[in-house]
Amino acid sequence: MSRAALGWILGAIVLLFFLVAPVAVTVSPYIMHLAITAFFYAILASSWSLLAGYGGQFSFGHMAFMAIGGYTSGLIGKFIRFTTAPTELCNDFSLFGNWWLVVLKPRDVGTIRDTCLDLAKTSTMPQGSLIVTPPVWATVLMGVVMGAVFGLLVGGLVLRLRSTYLALFTIGFSEILRAAISAEIPITEGQSGLEMLPLFPGGVSILGQTFNESSKIPPYYVMLFLLIASIALMAWLAGSRFGLFVRAIREDEEAAAALGVNIVRYKVLIFVVTSTLAAAAGAVQAHYIGIITPNILIILQMSLVISMAVIGGLENIYAAAIGAIIIQFMLELLRTSFDIGPFTIDMSLWRLVFFGLLLMVTLRWQRNGLIAPLFDRFTRGNVARETVAKRQVAAVPAEEAPAQSEK
Amino acid sequence: MEQSAILLWAIVWLVVWGTIGGLVTPRIYARKDLDISQASLGGAAIGAALGPLGLIPLWWKTPQLRNRLLVFSGLIVVGILVIAFALADPDNLCVVNGGFVVSQLTNGIVIGIIYGLMALGLTLIFSILGVVSFAHGEFYMVGGMVVYYLGATPFYESFTAGTERLAENTGGLLGFVNYLIPPLLLLLAACVFTFVVGVIFERIFLRVMNSGAVDRPGEYAILVTFGLAFFLQYLTQALVGANPVKSQRFFDFPRAEIPAESGGLVKMTPGNLTLFDFVSIPNPRFTAALIAILMLGALMWFLYRTWLGKALRAVSQDRQAAAVTGINPDSMNTLAFGMGAMLAGLSGASLVQVFSWLPQVGIPAAARSFVIIVLGGMGSLPGAFLGGLFVGLVEAAGTGCIPDTTRAAAYIPAYGMIILTLVLLLKPTGLFGREL
Repeated sequence: MSRAALGWILGAIVLLFFLVAPVAVTVSPYIMHLAITAFFYAILASSWSLLAGYGGQFSFGHMAFMAIGGYTSGLIGKFIRFTTAPTELCNDFSLFGNWWLVVLKPRDVGTIRDTCLDLAKTSTMPQGSLIVTPPVWATVLMGVVMGAVFGLLVGGLVLRLRSTYLALFTIGFSEILRAAISAEIPITEGQSGLEMLPLFPGGVSILGQTFNESSKIPPYYVMLFLLIASIALMAWLAGSRFGLFVRAIREDEEAAAALGVNIVRYKVLIFVVTSTLAAAAGAVQAHYIGIITPNILIILQMSLVISMAVIGGLENIYAAAIGAIIIQFMLELLRTSFDIGPFTIDMSLWRLVFFGLLLMVTLRWQRNGLIAPLFDRFTRGNVARETVAKRQVAAVPAEEAPAQSEK
Repeated sequence: MEQSAILLWAIVWLVVWGTIGGLVTPRIYARKDLDISQASLGGAAIGAALGPLGLIPLWWKTPQLRNRLLVFSGLIVVGILVIAFALADPDNLCVVNGGFVVSQLTNGIVIGIIYGLMALGLTLIFSILGVVSFAHGEFYMVGGMVVYYLGATPFYESFTAGTERLAENTGGLLGFVNYLIPPLLLLLAACVFTFVVGVIFERIFLRVMNSGAVDRPGEYAILVTFGLAFFLQYLTQALVGANPVKSQRFFDFPRAEIPAESGGLVKMTPGNLTLFDFVSIPNPRFTAALIAILMLGALMWFLYRTWLGKALRAVSQDRQAAAVTGINPDSMNTLAFGMGAMLAGLSGASLVQVFSWLPQVGIPAAARSFVIIVLGGMGSLPGAFLGGLFVGLVEAAGTGCIPDTTRAAAYIPAYGMIILTLVLLLKPTGLFGREL
């Protein structure tokens, strides 16, 4: 059996394990939660590695797009309703038939009074009129669209320039977004966090089994399938003509442009694709957690995603995803503290120091990451040997031929 | 409500005509085969300033866009904004109270000088290594932390007590010098520490960029400096915790009034300096600006008068040519990175008495430095300084004049980002940029 086949089989086993484990055995909710969060980071890390490793575009705003996805979905769920009668108290927009689109008004700072819809229900609206909350899948979809729109705006502004400008701009963009979300308390609830609907309000039943709202199994599969789908999409993109163009741009922009690649268009395109994936992951994760706060935008989160991608393997989306899963579990394991003599070492901080150091050391001495080389051993292990063998075959006649003729 | 609409319409007017000017002008210049490097900025500025009245003659005559024209139309834009703001909010402190405005602007300049010093470090690194250091904010933070935690040691306190006694005994100017020694030593310690950290980092992690050992060195540099930022930030937090700290002001002003008893020109209290009775500069900011100006002078002397400084500038102009004349570009890299880190550390060290200090304090500062160096033009030293002043002024105007004060404070980083967006849209090379 060749090594490549072994690699595929190993990959299939890992995938099967992730697919079957939660239903086959009872896994504690804590481990399930860790797994969901790990998949979430895996989507972020692998999409970032596509952008940075394949495209050579360094965005420090990946978490900002993630937050845009989450907040868009949450804000639509909070402020938009469909009703069969005008409320008079909120902002009503007439739709088809007797349906109305109602945009709720932000509450005043420091009040916990009822929303205008609650007031309208008892006063202006006729009895028995329906109030429909937009479904979660639709709000998530809107979050994804919003991620793409912002990706297009930021990418269109900055990607005309050298890649350093993208890094400079996105770090500021992320900070601004955090400041804005923290400051606009009437809309986003600021630091106390925006509450989100659960992914499946009222539970869900699949294959005759009913899961309630707080069950971890449906979100687990949603996140896992999102991860598989996004990796499949990215793998397809990376292997297509588009992926070749993007890698050509990474290696040498001028040369790629000279060969007729529209470099700005492809850079913007890959930026939009990866930002959209981040927004999708963010929206789903926010609904799963049930609350989203501006703290997901702190630079630490971005640093963790970058560490995951780099330690996994910057130029390999699978390795980045697996690196993210492993590091997420390691981060949890290291959430302890212990004593050395009189000093208490709080590992919850020192683990971050350790990962920062590991990030730098990996970049310096093991540029391909710690996991990607293992991949190469399996998937490309034969390639090197075959190439060497081919070269020998090609080289032997060329060297021996003159020797023979002399004889 | 009626009145705030004026400001809104003024902004819409500026944006619409600016966009039209910025988009159409380069096409017209390109069709006439003229220089289009300034066309987008010039079109936007003239369009925003004069609307169709300016754009039609511009497109008709297509004059050469000189800097004078650009500055003139830029001033008109600022004028329109100021007038619209004054009409929209006539009761605002910024409109009613001229003294407040001058005071705000002075404070903007004072803080802008320090921003400029910090950005100067970043631009120095960029001009020689070709690298934007994403750890710049962390050097700033570390500089402040060194000053605070060294200043809190018992040894330092007894040392201060000693020099103060000495100062009282000697009196006069010499006594004042004695009085200044402890804070100067703290600043020196911060400088030395950040310089050493910068040099070590450069030797281990950035030296390989020039030897061809890493492929795509530009990308490597972005990531590895970002990794350093992450590492330094959490190392600091793990060592000293995340409580905000703020150090004492370095020295008190003597109580004085010049001329005496006039209630007028210059009035000093230990914590404040009042000029002309309405411009009030807090002591810590004044001290920080003074340190920054002295450091700027020293830096200019170093860069333009000493052999090493000239060597640095030579490397920034042409690596190969400098190497031919016997300058080792690698050591210049190390020196430049160390000095850049030191400038950030010194800005932090002088600001730790102004702002409260956290391990995360470097991030907004770094983001501001990025705005400044892009505004000034990447790698341009005067650009960084002027950009710092400009950003300081804009932030002061923004925080002082926006009526909702909590919001105005929360959006301080946003003012810089608006500038950055405009610069990237209109003139990506910045004020004094050499190349894109």
